Amino acid sequence: MTRSTLLSAPAPAAAAASGTGAQLALADDLLALLRTTTTEPRPDEQLDALALAVAADLPVLLWGEPGIGKTAALTQLAASLDLPLTTVIASVHEPSDFSGLPVIDDDPAVRGVPMAPPRWAVELVRAGRGLLFLDELSTATPAVQAALLRVVLERRVGELRLPPGVRIVAAANPRASAADGWELSPPLANRFVHLHWVHDRDVVVRGLGGVWPRAELPRLAPERLPEAVAFARRAVCGFLEVRPTLIHRLPSTETRRGGAWPSPRSWEAALTLLAFGTAASASREVMALLVRGAVGDGPGLELLAHLDRMDLPDPETLLADPSSAALPERGDLRQAALEAVVAAVGARPERQRWEAAWAVLVRAMETGAPDLLVAPARTLAALRRDDWEVPQAVERLAAVVGLARRADRSVARATAADAGQTTGARR
Amino acid sequence: MEKLLAARLHAVKVRPYLADALFALHIVADRSVPTMAVDAYWRCYVSPGFVARTPVEELAGVWVHEVSHLLRDHHERSERYAREHDRHGPGERLRQNIAADFEINDDIYGDGLPRPTGAVLPSLLRLPSGMLMEEYLRTASMSSLAADLAWLDCGSGADGRQRPWELGPAGAHGLTRQQRDAVRFRVAEGIKGEPGNTPDGWRRWADEVFHPPQPWRQLLGAAVRSAASAPGAGENHTYRRPSRRSASVPGVVLPSLRRTPPRVCVVIDTSGSVSDAELGSALLEVAAISRAVGGRRDLVSVISCDAAAGIAVPLCRAENIELIGGGGTDLRSGFVRALGSRPRPDVIVALTDGQTPWPSEEPACRTVVGLFPRPAHAVDETDPDYVPDTPPPWARVVSIGCGRLPDVRLVGGRDRVQGAALTGD
Repeated sequence: MTRSTLLSAPAPAAAAASGTGAQLALADDLLALLRTTTTEPRPDEQLDALALAVAADLPVLLWGEPGIGKTAALTQLAASLDLPLTTVIASVHEPSDFSGLPVIDDDPAVRGVPMAPPRWAVELVRAGRGLLFLDELSTATPAVQAALLRVVLERRVGELRLPPGVRIVAAANPRASAADGWELSPPLANRFVHLHWVHDRDVVVRGLGGVWPRAELPRLAPERLPEAVAFARRAVCGFLEVRPTLIHRLPSTETRRGGAWPSPRSWEAALTLLAFGTAASASREVMALLVRGAVGDGPGLELLAHLDRMDLPDPETLLADPSSAALPERGDLRQAALEAVVAAVGARPERQRWEAAWAVLVRAMETGAPDLLVAPARTLAALRRDDWEVPQAVERLAAVVGLARRADRSVARATAADAGQTTGARR
Repeated sequence: MEKLLAARLHAVKVRPYLADALFALHIVADRSVPTMAVDAYWRCYVSPGFVARTPVEELAGVWVHEVSHLLRDHHERSERYAREHDRHGPGERLRQNIAADFEINDDIYGDGLPRPTGAVLPSLLRLPSGMLMEEYLRTASMSSLAADLAWLDCGSGADGRQRPWELGPAGAHGLTRQQRDAVRFRVAEGIKGEPGNTPDGWRRWADEVFHPPQPWRQLLGAAVRSAASAPGAGENHTYRRPSRRSASVPGVVLPSLRRTPPRVCVVIDTSGSVSDAELGSALLEVAAISRAVGGRRDLVSVISCDAAAGIAVPLCRAENIELIGGGGTDLRSGFVRALGSRPRPDVIVALTDGQTPWPSEEPACRTVVGLFPRPAHAVDETDPDYVPDTPPPWARVVSIGCGRLPDVRLVGGRDRVQGAALTGD
């Protein structure tokens, strides 16, 4: 009803042509004002992750509900990276729009049938750089998805090869909201870094007020490049040596289809992302989003746990200079570091090292909670050889012993109570 | 302080799989806290007075209780629940705290860990134990309890509402979302690695925390859809007929989008072990899905099958399909019958409880198995040694009816929005 009134409204005003023109111009002014927004630097993990993956030249797939601002975020990103944005809505295209249209020449038997690329690809190649945004990927038919494999992986559209300056980002609606979507095939899914796009209330409110967060390319520190590559290689290779079964694992359950899964290809992506993140000093949060997006949640979390362990202080350094040992603040990490020290002594038991380990424990007691020390102290005490005298410093751990005794007594009481209850029940 | 740490040691000793999580907590002593409370950033606020008047072994129970709130992500889940149901008042948050306590308290105590006095149990409201926080919130009013328990306060880690004494996200020693996920992941892996004497509740938590069960309707839909739309059936591009766009670009060969409606044959296990309600809901779902992928109702046929297969009944003629059967199952005859029907189906959907032999060879069409979960001990009484085979690898298997509360176990808030969408289901 409102619609029809709106449509019929201009009719009487048509007589005053100049009036309409002025009104339209005013409307344009108003729209221009509405569209004038500024950007501000603002910590935004998902935007940082997107920018980092785009910088690392890995195809990114944004999962998010319709209308959540994926396209807006990409427009912002393209603007701040100064890249022309080409949007291709995958679901309204045909496979030939990506694999090239066969054009029949005069003599196809001799000259072959060329596959003509569509105009957007030609323009992208001519520009030499740009952001290619493949929207609505999950609603594209399987044949279009198959054609897209080549665009995403080989960067080829028909006969054309996309220049290195072109970055690819895709968007898809999650299965829950895609009413008639197709599943993303596992091979296509494996080529992307999956980022889950959620809206942040503050960002939306501030953005509607006219200020959007600014996407910034990560700043790579030139002097850190070799170190970053070495770190990323050490992390991923070290991890996969311990967990070789995670090198390749095709998603087997329905739940995990169409998402990130580990394969040599996605591990390479994770390695690249780690190197970029290290060189750009990205936060662990951003790295975690990216690593989990590349190889999947389970393997990603395991790799991150491995990184945590790599961050622990080296036991040999701690043993070399116990008095200035810097131990992690967090209890669980601190205990892991202490256990590593004790394990190092166990691996090469020498009196001097054993005494140094006690000194590390004393240091830990002076700087943090004593209950963490109980388990490492017990193990260390068990390593004693007959001719080793207990060092003086151990006396300062008396509080730890008291604590352990108190806990033991409490456990004994509780188990006794348990036993009493069960016998009581039997009676 | 010493007492509190001794209690933590006690907790670690009797629940070693929680050690990482317990040690990751940062202790903050504060007189304004009623007892012990946690916030979402893994800080643990403790009232010195409470510690002084509580025995060590009870404090150990409180430690495990508080860390369970964090491991089970109650703060995120409460937030989500409050947002979805638009319930934000303090009374509502107390309800959430109680429901979260119900979820935890029914299986963390005992076995060297005494239950602290005042711990609330679902039996107080004559509710069954073993349910999730959201289920308790949906089923029980808790108004009778709320008055007595107004002192109960486990902090924002349990219900998402910030307390005056909390340090907030910017405060010192908080854990970030990724660090929290990492600790939860380590604990879950530890439990999965040594499931020995871990209680069922924790084992279930470890299995599901990073791989939430999904609603079977969507999974079944996705499986049928992808089977029905794969090359050869469904909507796809073809060069067999020229595209309508061809007229405008002479010399260019364009494919056109053609729709070949998929024929779906549903083989239903009507043996006594499957309930009518289960079958009915699953069958309706298949019909709806195949309509959505472009199948017409007359292209969906149904074979009821126990030891012998019935005839294929087109769905359009059978508004209420009479499911004939009972007794033992042999789905193989159903498969033979389905493949023998003309025209041959593009997709076979088998709905069964899996207590059946399977065809030895892969059928010539795509197969989706909707599996009604059965406890492992439900075996044939006549043959105690009989162990049913698992569905063969060539079938896509969707477990039906196990997607209990899909919205609650999503990974660390990553899918906040997706989670919200799922509950509409």
